[in-house]
Amino acid sequence: MAQQIDPRGSRFGAAITSTLLAISVFLLLDSTTFSIGAGVFTFVTLSFAFGAVFGLSNHPYGLVFKKFVRPRLAAPEQLEDATPPRFAQAVGLFVALIGWVLQLSGVEFGFAIAAGAAFVAAFLNAAFNYCLGCQIFFGLKRLKVIR
Amino acid sequence: MSTELRLLAVAGIVLIAVLLGLIWKLTTGRARLIRDGKQVDLGELGAVKNGQPVVEFGERLTFLQFSSEVCSQCVQTARILGELESQSDDVLHIEVDITNRLDLANKYQVLQTPTTLILDRRGVVKSRIGGAPKSSTLETEIGSFQI
Repeated sequence: MAQQIDPRGSRFGAAITSTLLAISVFLLLDSTTFSIGAGVFTFVTLSFAFGAVFGLSNHPYGLVFKKFVRPRLAAPEQLEDATPPRFAQAVGLFVALIGWVLQLSGVEFGFAIAAGAAFVAAFLNAAFNYCLGCQIFFGLKRLKVIR
Repeated sequence: MSTELRLLAVAGIVLIAVLLGLIWKLTTGRARLIRDGKQVDLGELGAVKNGQPVVEFGERLTFLQFSSEVCSQCVQTARILGELESQSDDVLHIEVDITNRLDLANKYQVLQTPTTLILDRRGVVKSRIGGAPKSSTLETEIGSFQI
């Protein structure tokens, strides 16, 4: 059986990610604060990369959750498979990288567009426990894009 | 870009995310009646239960759950349907992993996992539930199959 994690941990991480992405959209839209916004966006991109490669339980957000948040909560009703949220991190990374391609090829709001799209996915995860990345995985498989 | 306009942009994406989340919340886990549903072919399904191939349907109804490898709600759904199965001897729960069974995904038009089909005692599809089933939905479904 695959590794099991506390689903509230991934939602906790998604809440941080969506907050950072909302802040970065705000900062990226004005030329005077663009560089700070790009810094926040870079941080989120790296965070997605870390989650996709090492998994959420090794992610700094996951460790913060384990150390400071989980002890204050009751035991989880159920655990979830660690693979789907990890795949969702890879989807987040993919969206962020599209932002990098757009921005570096001269699209003025390339970062902001990608940050907005990633925000929606992270927010759905945090607020509604809806894993968009997991649905995408199955959709791609069904369309035979991935094997 | 002015601060007001930027705040408006951020509020806009939050609104989009909330609307998408609410639409999902309202539609997921609810049963949809299927008229002129077809009889499920157990041989084609190739379902295995406790190491044995499934050769007959539940005497009252069968929950046919389609799952996939990367699925955040499948395990939880299987647990709930398994409990309903163990509570009565005329309800059967079958789980089929369609990650590598795209023929089944296409035949039954499975766009998301879990998707649960509710079959009558002859194995004819009577209704379907996309996403993790709501417990009130399941009670209604079982109730409508009283012998």
